[in-house]
Amino acid sequence: MTMAMLMRMALVLTLGLGLGVPGAHAQTAPGTLIVQVSTEPPGLDLTTNPASAIAGVVFDNVQEGLIKIDRTGKMVPWLAERWYTTDSKNYTFFLRKNVRFHNGREMKAADVKFALDRAVNPETKHPYRTQYEAIQDVIVKDDYTITVALKRVDATFLYTLARQGSVIYPREAVDSLKTQPLGTGPFTVAEWVRGDRIVLLKNKDYWVKGLPHLDKVIYRFIADPNAAVAALKAGDIDVSAFGIGPESVDELKKDARFQVIVGDTTNDVTLSMNNSKKPYTDKRVRLAVTHAINKDEVLKGAMFGHGKVLGSNVDPLNPFFVDVSKRVPYDPPKAKKLLAEAGYPNGFDVTFRVSPQYYYTVRSAEIITSQFAKVGIRAKIEQIEWGQWLSQVFCLAPCQNPDYEMSIIGHAEAWDIGNFANPKYYFRWDNPDFQKLYAESQVTVDDKMRRELYVKMQQMLADEAPAVWLYMHPRLVVTKKGVTGLWKDLPLPVLDLSEVAWQK
Amino acid sequence: MRRFVLRRVATLAVTLLLVSLLVFVVVRILPGDPALIILGTEGNAETAQRIRESLGLNRPLVVQYLEWVGRAARGDLGRSIQYDVPVASLVVSRLAVTLPLTLLAAGFMALVALPVGVYAATHQRRWGDYVVMAASQVGVAVPGFWAGLLLVLLFAVQLGWFKSGGFDGWGQGVLPALKSLLLPAIALGLFQFAVLARTTRSAVLEVLREEYVKTARAKGLAERRVLFRHVLRNAMIPILTVSGIQLGQLMAGSIVLESVFYLPGLGRLAIGAISARDLPVVQGVVLFVASVIVTINVAVDLLYGVLDPRIRYE
Repeated sequence: MTMAMLMRMALVLTLGLGLGVPGAHAQTAPGTLIVQVSTEPPGLDLTTNPASAIAGVVFDNVQEGLIKIDRTGKMVPWLAERWYTTDSKNYTFFLRKNVRFHNGREMKAADVKFALDRAVNPETKHPYRTQYEAIQDVIVKDDYTITVALKRVDATFLYTLARQGSVIYPREAVDSLKTQPLGTGPFTVAEWVRGDRIVLLKNKDYWVKGLPHLDKVIYRFIADPNAAVAALKAGDIDVSAFGIGPESVDELKKDARFQVIVGDTTNDVTLSMNNSKKPYTDKRVRLAVTHAINKDEVLKGAMFGHGKVLGSNVDPLNPFFVDVSKRVPYDPPKAKKLLAEAGYPNGFDVTFRVSPQYYYTVRSAEIITSQFAKVGIRAKIEQIEWGQWLSQVFCLAPCQNPDYEMSIIGHAEAWDIGNFANPKYYFRWDNPDFQKLYAESQVTVDDKMRRELYVKMQQMLADEAPAVWLYMHPRLVVTKKGVTGLWKDLPLPVLDLSEVAWQK
Repeated sequence: MRRFVLRRVATLAVTLLLVSLLVFVVVRILPGDPALIILGTEGNAETAQRIRESLGLNRPLVVQYLEWVGRAARGDLGRSIQYDVPVASLVVSRLAVTLPLTLLAAGFMALVALPVGVYAATHQRRWGDYVVMAASQVGVAVPGFWAGLLLVLLFAVQLGWFKSGGFDGWGQGVLPALKSLLLPAIALGLFQFAVLARTTRSAVLEVLREEYVKTARAKGLAERRVLFRHVLRNAMIPILTVSGIQLGQLMAGSIVLESVFYLPGLGRLAIGAISARDLPVVQGVVLFVASVIVTINVAVDLLYGVLDPRIRYE
């Protein structure tokens, strides 16, 4: 039994005592919001480190991009007022005037060029460099006009510009982004007490008139979900953004002091199989594995029913999402039959390598293990630490061949279906037909045609079963009553606080 | 006495050198490459290699070790990979939480456990003794984090007297700072309190059976004088040994309680650094804590010598 499990049991027992009388609670100063997040960001530079904990503080709050993905997942013009392209290869952007960085200087086209050139440059450590590979040249036309020339059509180019790696910052401040990120956003970073808190202050010169509503935001790092619940109840935090476990949701929903937001995310919890290893090279075995899993039960057991069952890699927030979860339904007799056909009438042995850093992976594996037993698959769970998971299972260089049979992890990136077109990805699924479909989708800019390709890809993934898509990890946010304006869904890993306010 | 002290200090230096070597080796054989963890699931081979180079991880281990030890001896523990600030300053700032927390817990432990243990021993098999024994049994059985959670639920969530956690620093004044450390200190000291109370009780009981105590009593000395002059002085040796070990354990226990009470202390720094493979920080913290524990042990050794002069000549 792990420490985390013990603590969770302790919490359940304690809460079971039903200590019902609310105590005297401190009121936060008006205009201030105390937000709990579970991880402290490792540095604050979005352009050298992909950790989502950084985005949770900096992205859209401190630094912004030319284009923004709004709370509904829609792309809206942001620092760029508008843009046009005639050939889907040359994009001209018209920048908004009078947008000032936190150091008081106006944002100009040269800053945009600097940021994009730096993302393309292999010498910088930009974590998403491959997304900018299509960029050939960035040309400054005048202070407020800039043209990006692409080598080839790239259907995800605009989306890339809307993501966290494409934020615009003053070029003179590039060396201090890690500790003091400057940008154009609604808040400035005022203080970072390492290990304890980050304080953001209102940007009084924010270019969007009337925003932000809050004067001050204090981020508190509380990793333990029980401590986060206790802090909420004691009134020490106003919002728990990433940290409440699904087991606490129902109880907090009943508490009149709080409101609970359960939304969608792009985080697809996926059971991966090593497709380069026997018996997973056989499609019948992979389908049998899928038929053997009762996803509703997994969702209920691991996430207390919060979240959505999935059938492919595309999440419900994607505009091209189609529900293919019924294509390979829960069907143990069929699973057995397929296993027999593939030459495993008595099933086989398998080891799950999962990292307890993400509690839902272990919980899901436990439930699936018992479901597997019904069709003769004998599964064992091996818990490894996150660093080991990255090098053994995910197989980051210098690893050559992933060392695992099955694993479970949430794939949080939006638009990440391309991972299945990459035979080097740790699924090791090599299917030329799928790769062709994906390549086509990358150069198709017509939305209707692109949608068709995406539907085909989703169906193909379900039918070929290179992995089992279990469920979409829900967004769980709890706030004190009176906090308004938070996003319900998470089309991107952000915690946009610009429109958040205390109800008067 | 001088030779005794010198010998102990020399051993301390050698131990510290060995500790530093051990820390270095253990940290390096931890599976998981810091470069890969920095990059997460978005990394590729070339960026990982570049990060390794910039961190100096591609140089021979011996060179890395000698450089680290050389600088550590001058108080420079290197720079944190994730925070980009000197490790020494991180350790000092975290110590401002962990040290008072540990001392508060130790104080709570010693001030309550010692008298209680002596009381139980001198009232053996009377109801006071049974109460102490039962209470300490509970104290041993209840894990610190569980006690911590209960304290939070009662005093922070229900009564609202204390905060549920966090530490705003000493800048806000000594009293508010101590107030936010009180609950965690009690939870932290609980287990050690129980152990110390039991140790004290049995140590005192042991001495009470000695011939010289009987002699002292037979001479007609006042009971109080017997207790302080003869019993406690001799019972102190095992009690001190246990307390020395306990101080180390308190520091270790603070790791768990710092996450229950989300205190920005050394323990949380270490945990975060390990999962981020922030090697300079992991090495720095472990070396620091190990030095403190080794120093405490030497101090305990020296105290034996003061309490019982025979020990010096062994």
